[in-house]
Amino acid sequence: MRAFNAELSKLFSLPGMWLAFLIGAFAPAAIAALDSIAEKEEIIAGVSIRLSEVGYIGLGLGVQGIIILGVLAVSSEYLTESSESGGGNQITTSLTVVSSRFHFLLAKAGAVTVTSALLSIVAILATVSATNLILGEYAPAFEASRLIGVVCYWTFTALLAFGITVLTKNGMIPLTVLIINSSVVTVSYLLTKVTKLAFYLPDRAGTDMLMSGGFHTPFTGGLIMFAWVAVLFIIADIVFDRRDVAS
Amino acid sequence: MSVSSRRKITQILGAELDKLITLPLIWFTIMGTFIINLVLTRAFTSAGLQGAAGTQSILNIGLASMGYLQAGFIILGILATCSEYTGGQIRTTLTTIPWRGFQLSAKHLALAIITIPVAFIIAASGVLYAFIMMRDTAVVIEIDIMIKTIAGATGYLTLTTLLSAAIGALLRRTTPALVVLLGYYFIVSPLLRDFLPSSKNYFPDTAGSYMYMPPSSDEINVLTPMQGTGISMLWTLIFITVAIVFYRKRDA
Repeated sequence: MRAFNAELSKLFSLPGMWLAFLIGAFAPAAIAALDSIAEKEEIIAGVSIRLSEVGYIGLGLGVQGIIILGVLAVSSEYLTESSESGGGNQITTSLTVVSSRFHFLLAKAGAVTVTSALLSIVAILATVSATNLILGEYAPAFEASRLIGVVCYWTFTALLAFGITVLTKNGMIPLTVLIINSSVVTVSYLLTKVTKLAFYLPDRAGTDMLMSGGFHTPFTGGLIMFAWVAVLFIIADIVFDRRDVAS
Repeated sequence: MSVSSRRKITQILGAELDKLITLPLIWFTIMGTFIINLVLTRAFTSAGLQGAAGTQSILNIGLASMGYLQAGFIILGILATCSEYTGGQIRTTLTTIPWRGFQLSAKHLALAIITIPVAFIIAASGVLYAFIMMRDTAVVIEIDIMIKTIAGATGYLTLTTLLSAAIGALLRRTTPALVVLLGYYFIVSPLLRDFLPSSKNYFPDTAGSYMYMPPSSDEINVLTPMQGTGISMLWTLIFITVAIVFYRKRDA
């Protein structure tokens, strides 16, 4: 529990975290607002076909913030300070204090989970109110099950970013791969054109939790994404257990 | 001791090139981009082959991965400038080269010298792969259009790299620079294209994309390749200038 508190305090004191919170909390609402404005014109013109999707696009893209959170939580530990301030690594200190590596990783994952779940709830509140404000009487009802899907999707994405970064130790690769892959036209979407297996990739399966008309039902989508997260966490833990800290 | 200014510039350029070449991350990025581009082109090619045969142009398929490819070049640009700030290399640099404007311009120039051949090879390899795979089914393309398009793609990737380097020099930290640039190129820009269709042609990436868009009759190409190049270059120059101005004013 103390390790968990320590991880939370480390997470919140990272300067990059503010960027993550800013993007995570406000970008979905902003995108949803823009989308609602466009949607309102369509409703008035009577050609609206995707009213039930309004807002979810923003929430789907808002995982950017959560990706930053998951990546930074780990990569900040490995950041070498400049030689003028000792050239230290935070990870050495962290592992001196919490000597069990499994507990260290578990506490960190717990901190990431709690933070991202909270952030997703903030983002949902902001998005729902933005949509209601603009669409007024036309605003769609947000189903609780899909909103739970959003929370799961955000949390799992954060944990995926976390797990990948434990493996790479450098923040750049996971950040690039995941940001591109959560963009408007994703690589995995492209792969679904080539092979049906791509529907089982974590982000494809995960978006089925919040977008309607996917390949999987929301529940199986969530299960598949959770399986990815669990497998990745186990691999990350094994690698992290066996690795020399300094290397 | 006075050194002639011409000699000075050559020496600065040499030093900057040396620094870039000895940065291992640069080579990892280039190799990674090359491999990922081939994988993506392969995916696009097989998707194209499954589609209606004969309707796809080799250039469209070969350069379809450009959207993802630019991420590698964005990283390249950011690495070039931000690597100075991890560990205080910048102070050594500025002690030996106290002319800040020259130094940053030379860095951009050195980066361009490295990027141009790399971008050319990567863009050409994608087109070549699509050409080999689709020789039998796709429409034949004249060689001069192909060269023009690949040159345009090279120019676009180089300008993107320089723009990223300028942003990196402005922000000085790798992660925020990466997030800002990737967020712009992959999230904000596609959304803006939908919401602001009137002014979309004047953003650096959409204008730049006209540089390698193969001329075709069914798509309405609003800008000619030259106009696209001009707008894209203007953006890059503005950002480099801003970066140099800040660099000169600011405490290192």
